[in-house]
Amino acid sequence: MFFRMVRGTFVRQWKKLLMIALTVALGASIATAMLNVMLDVGDKINEELKTYGSNITVIPQSEAVMNKLYDVENGETQDEFLNEDKLGELLTIFWANNITDFAPETDAQVLLDGNEVKVVGSWFAHHFEYEKKGTTYTRDTGLINLRSWWDIKDGQWMDESASDSDRYAMVGCQLADKNNISAGDSITLKGSRGEEVLTVSGIYESGDDEDEYIYTTLSAAQRLTGTQGLLKKIEVSAITSPEDELAVKAARDPSLLSGDEYDLWYCTAYVSSICFQIQEAIPEASATAVRQIADSEGKILEKTELLMTLITVLSLIGAALGISNLVTSGVMERSIELTLLKAVGAKNGQVTFLVLTEVMATAVVGTAVGYLMGYVFAQIIGETVFNSAIEMNGMAAFIVAVLILFVTLLGSIPAIRLLLRLKPSEVLHGGH
Amino acid sequence: MNKKTLMFFRMVAASFIRRRSRMLIALFAVIIGATILSGLVMIYYDVPRQMSTQFRSYGANLILTPSEEESISSEELEKSISLIPENELEGYTPYRYENSKIHNMPVTFAGIDFESVTKTSPYWHISGEMPQNDGEALVGAKVAEKLGLKTGESVSAENSFEITPDTDISLIPEYEIFEDPETGEKHCDHSLDISITGILETGGSEEEYIYVTYKDVEYLSLTKRGYDIVEVSAAAMQDTLKSYTKRISDDVEGVSARLVKRVTASESTVLDKLQSLVFIVTAVVLVLTMICVATTMTAVITERRKEIGLRKSLGAYNSDIIVEFMCEGLFLGGAGGILGSVLGYVFAQLVSMNVFSTSITFRPLLIPITIAASVLVTGLACLIPIRSAVDVDPALVLKGE
Amino acid sequence: MSLLELKNVSKIYGELNALDNVSLKIDKGEWLAIMGPSGSGKSTMMNIIGCLDKPSKGQVLFDGKDISKESRRKLTEFHRDKIGLVFQQFHLINYLNAVENVMVAQYYHSMPDEKEALEALERVGLKERAKHLPSQLSGGEQQRVCIARALINSPELILADEPTGNLDEANENIVLDIFKRLHKEGTSLIVVTHDPEVGEEAQRIVRLEHGHISSDIRNEKFSEG
Repeated sequence: MFFRMVRGTFVRQWKKLLMIALTVALGASIATAMLNVMLDVGDKINEELKTYGSNITVIPQSEAVMNKLYDVENGETQDEFLNEDKLGELLTIFWANNITDFAPETDAQVLLDGNEVKVVGSWFAHHFEYEKKGTTYTRDTGLINLRSWWDIKDGQWMDESASDSDRYAMVGCQLADKNNISAGDSITLKGSRGEEVLTVSGIYESGDDEDEYIYTTLSAAQRLTGTQGLLKKIEVSAITSPEDELAVKAARDPSLLSGDEYDLWYCTAYVSSICFQIQEAIPEASATAVRQIADSEGKILEKTELLMTLITVLSLIGAALGISNLVTSGVMERSIELTLLKAVGAKNGQVTFLVLTEVMATAVVGTAVGYLMGYVFAQIIGETVFNSAIEMNGMAAFIVAVLILFVTLLGSIPAIRLLLRLKPSEVLHGGH
Repeated sequence: MNKKTLMFFRMVAASFIRRRSRMLIALFAVIIGATILSGLVMIYYDVPRQMSTQFRSYGANLILTPSEEESISSEELEKSISLIPENELEGYTPYRYENSKIHNMPVTFAGIDFESVTKTSPYWHISGEMPQNDGEALVGAKVAEKLGLKTGESVSAENSFEITPDTDISLIPEYEIFEDPETGEKHCDHSLDISITGILETGGSEEEYIYVTYKDVEYLSLTKRGYDIVEVSAAAMQDTLKSYTKRISDDVEGVSARLVKRVTASESTVLDKLQSLVFIVTAVVLVLTMICVATTMTAVITERRKEIGLRKSLGAYNSDIIVEFMCEGLFLGGAGGILGSVLGYVFAQLVSMNVFSTSITFRPLLIPITIAASVLVTGLACLIPIRSAVDVDPALVLKGE
Repeated sequence: MSLLELKNVSKIYGELNALDNVSLKIDKGEWLAIMGPSGSGKSTMMNIIGCLDKPSKGQVLFDGKDISKESRRKLTEFHRDKIGLVFQQFHLINYLNAVENVMVAQYYHSMPDEKEALEALERVGLKERAKHLPSQLSGGEQQRVCIARALINSPELILADEPTGNLDEANENIVLDIFKRLHKEGTSLIVVTHDPEVGEEAQRIVRLEHGHISSDIRNEKFSEG
């Protein structure tokens, strides 16, 4: 009988219930969209911040400096190198998936028309493969990602896939101005161990010291200095978590951490733990955070997340109040009709239960529809702003469900109180 | 006021006073909508300004270099800086580099202002203390490693050079100068004792210098001259900065200004994303909230279909009823808009204080816009159900139930 | 001349002929009861007489003027000036008090006048309860406010649809007494009802069945008196 009554009101009152369901759906969709965007915004902004270039540099670890210091008479220290074949070890660390880009580098002072200039050999758009223990690690990376701010003034980026890419170079705009070089020209570089004739593929503007440099492929630069297979530096761009107390503590000395702290630190994508893992993978290397990038990233991420959190809270409060508001007015109307049931002998408990069942059933339908709508909105936001999908978070779904349940119940309270207070006779007289 | 107008207001007033709970529900919905509108829009407009300040943690985004002469003089520097609006200028640090030797190893000294450098390079990590006085030095981590220097130690930088007309010999005592008996050239050997207060870690090329005060580099080189490079941090977007560099390069002779593209280009990319994020979030939330407001208003009107039917049966024209009901709706919209724009400002201020620790820019124009928008939305939300109620035959409405 | 005349009026809702070729003449000052089971076309007839609805076919003459072809706006004006309506569910505006409810009718008709409205309430014996909201009035009192509202613009015809349908016997008698008084004062009355007791009070009784007039008789009580 009870369910027939519920079904009966559903059929007769579908318009009013539809209105409640619609409001619940709207509120749920705001909540779903905002929560999911909020929970994903850190990763998304982090990816955007990768345009600032690498946040970790890997260089050879200096050996006992003092010993060397007094061996070398003329004050020139001997250069140290990393092995190029160890490069792939980067991709075997715990947080390898967070390493979005990396590029090896070697540099040399060479002569161009009798003047000393700096040549840097690196990757431009490189397809990298590394095989270890039967697993193949691949990555497409290079300066094209790590120097996103370069402005190509003349010509184009180097095409590393061309078979003769070794014969090309890119020249910084200030150097190009000074020496009257334009794209397509040939330049002759005299290094300590060799001479290379390279064609200029493009002139770039970087806005810093690099405007005075020449960039060419890794192997061309290595040939100039006779350092085949050796690297001076690796630039690494990794997605990291903002630093907190634990990270600061670990940065001083990871060995001071307790076991649990160490595990937590090691398994969090702090820039310090990624550096630590790189050093584990390549023991002769020293990995350090580029403070300018790493620190600022943390700050901006934190601010963005906080901003989005507060906007989300506002939207949630708005949605919650909106729902509870309309549920109150909707249920109030319904319950006046339901009071008639009291006239035919229904007990307060039964009537309350009937109202709640009805409202909750409506809210469940509304929430389900709203969740789907919210999913669509979140994806619209993700696609328009970040050109990538927003990951749907299970926690968001849980929060939305709890929120709607709570708010709907809250919204029903005034109506139920009214329902319990009203005497059937008053209702029958039509005045309310 | 004639009796008819009086009766009109009497009815509207009765509707507000005696239907309080319904009216409050509707007013509440409008207030929520207006609060979200004014709050989010205010935040949206303030995000670039506020975030731009945060992006200054990337440090200098504009660099001044000497264009013809050897260095930038203080007058040139002052003139250049005056071309950047004061409220956008976060800070600037001139650098003067000089070479010297420690333990016979060549090192480069940089003379800086230790106070302003915290503005232009906020990312500097210092283990130890930032130097305060002459004779104190901040040593880059790479130099420290190479030379085995530690915080708290004292070292001497030694310079030995020929005295030229440029040399300012007033800086050193007479006894340090000696004359080569064969050539007649004057030489001097002098040293600068510095105590190391801290080691600088940045992970970048800044670690390759030793930082001291301007006075110390002057003493070290025995020359008075200007600066080699000036780092400027200004809270402005790329295009604005570009206009500053052009102005400085054109107006100040001897100085050429350029952008640090790594910082400016990336900032505009990320900031654009951020602003469009807040924009679309605002848009989505607003659309949904406005629908919410509209459904509430619709519900409130739909409840009164019978009343509309009755009024028609008493001889009211459709236009009379529309005017009466719209009057109530527009009043709700106006009142909700006023309250909402105040609450929205409070909310935006709260967010701004919490996130950025600065006050939000108050935009007076937003108040009339919020009020107009809530009147418009409420009006439309009322008009549609009123029209449909008015079009229904009163006989049907009155008979129904 | 008759006050109202229906000439071959039909009202068709889709397939259903709610009224089928009905003709009826009502004189000035007459008290007519329209009776019949539900679904017989009572309400449709009442709506057409009350100018709330238009017939599908046929003519409606009021004071000899055909109103079935008039525009909606004209019809509204006409019905406002000539007819007072009394409803089974009273249809008072719940946020206006008794006197204000009466004044609403004045408001749409001409000019609201609280004194006149109070007089109208006095005529139905409710002067003391003028400031009460409908929810504070009993059903009978609400119906009397409804009647006062119908009377306020001195209509030529009072049209009452089941006026006692929601009332107990005591209140039914009060309402009927008011109708009797109005009749004596010369107001034309049409009462739609299925209650024989109410119908019996009328001068003339028209019975409807399936959209046709099945009988049209003079009440003996009146012809005698």
